Amino acid sequence: MATTTEPPTAFQFPPHYSFPPFFTLQPVATTRSSQLQSWSTFIQSYCRHHHIFSLSLIDALSTPLFHNTTLSRQLSLRDAKAILTWMASPEGGSRAEFISSTGNKKKAVDEGEGGRVWIYWRRPEEWAAQLEEWVDRTGQKGVVLTLYEIVEGEASVREEFAGMDMELLRMSLGVCVKRGRAQIFSSGGEGEGIKFF
Amino acid sequence: MGNSSSSNKISAQDKAILDMKNQRDKLRQYQKRITVLTNHEKAIAKECLAKGDTNRAKLALRRKKYQEGLIQKTDAQLAQLEQLSSDVEFALVQKDVLYGLQQGTAVLKEIHKEMGGIENVEKLLGENAEARAYQEEISELLANKMSNQDEDEVEDELEALEQEVNGVTLPDPPVKQPEFTPEQKAKISRDRAQRRAQERAAEQEQTAEPMLA
Repeated sequence: MATTTEPPTAFQFPPHYSFPPFFTLQPVATTRSSQLQSWSTFIQSYCRHHHIFSLSLIDALSTPLFHNTTLSRQLSLRDAKAILTWMASPEGGSRAEFISSTGNKKKAVDEGEGGRVWIYWRRPEEWAAQLEEWVDRTGQKGVVLTLYEIVEGEASVREEFAGMDMELLRMSLGVCVKRGRAQIFSSGGEGEGIKFF
Repeated sequence: MGNSSSSNKISAQDKAILDMKNQRDKLRQYQKRITVLTNHEKAIAKECLAKGDTNRAKLALRRKKYQEGLIQKTDAQLAQLEQLSSDVEFALVQKDVLYGLQQGTAVLKEIHKEMGGIENVEKLLGENAEARAYQEEISELLANKMSNQDEDEVEDELEALEQEVNGVTLPDPPVKQPEFTPEQKAKISRDRAQRRAQERAAEQEQTAEPMLA
């Protein structure tokens, strides 16, 4: 379930995107590590441009992200997984995270080919700062906001977090709560609200 | 602002507002759903027309019309809800303002109490004026004690200072060596010899004196 809002301008693919060997992970360690770095940067900028917060691995393989139709080159599932695993590691800056349905992070990597992955072109902590800044800038401190309103409301259409995945939003707001900047609450019924201080 | 204290920051009012906002979000979602449906009906109508099935196209359009009516109704409800929630929020702001006014008034009253009423202020002002008048009298007395001579000295000093500041014009120093005639030169050397002899005599006198004593 990749939330995609069609951007007005086309994404500028990096030059190495039209370089055929880019689509096969190289066995030499040094080449490989620089390749992983380039892929990571590319995936992040692609997702940022298209407002994608999570990828479904199996679906993403056929998208322009992993499939260059002009070269008719495609990243293999194994390689894509390797890249995302590297991105999720501290070495790759923890820019991705496998989403597990059972809540077990280790297992999520092996959970099968259809595994979903968070792409953190902004990590939850960074989103938290972004959200706090937005609340501050729009004078919504002390105002009760619904989570739905934050990502779908008219006030945040122009913000980067518009259309954000609820799950990710909850994680980011969790960071705000941990910092003591906000509190999440609900009033018995469904639908949670948050109040920033 | 610790984590422990933040738990009681959510009031019942906040919860009520949240309820309203949730309701509003639900209406929005409903509208979204209906909008999708109307687009769907329109597509169906188009398809049916292309096939030449006018009746079914009409039916789809009728459904679309009905759904559009629903959207309009929800729009009105949405407006109502939004107005209500902004009214509530404004009332909260008013409450804050009232609280602020109350607090300010209390402080102001407290300060007035410390100042001890209008009579006290008037009394104090009167005393102040009296003291000032007294001080003026003393100054006048002291000023009159200054004699004319003192005043003159002050004036002199002022003049001296003025000259120092403005600077006194001095004659230019000579730039050439003086030229003498032979007679003048002879006179100068004669004068010098005489002066030296005098100085020597005076020196001898001085060294002799302690011996006498």
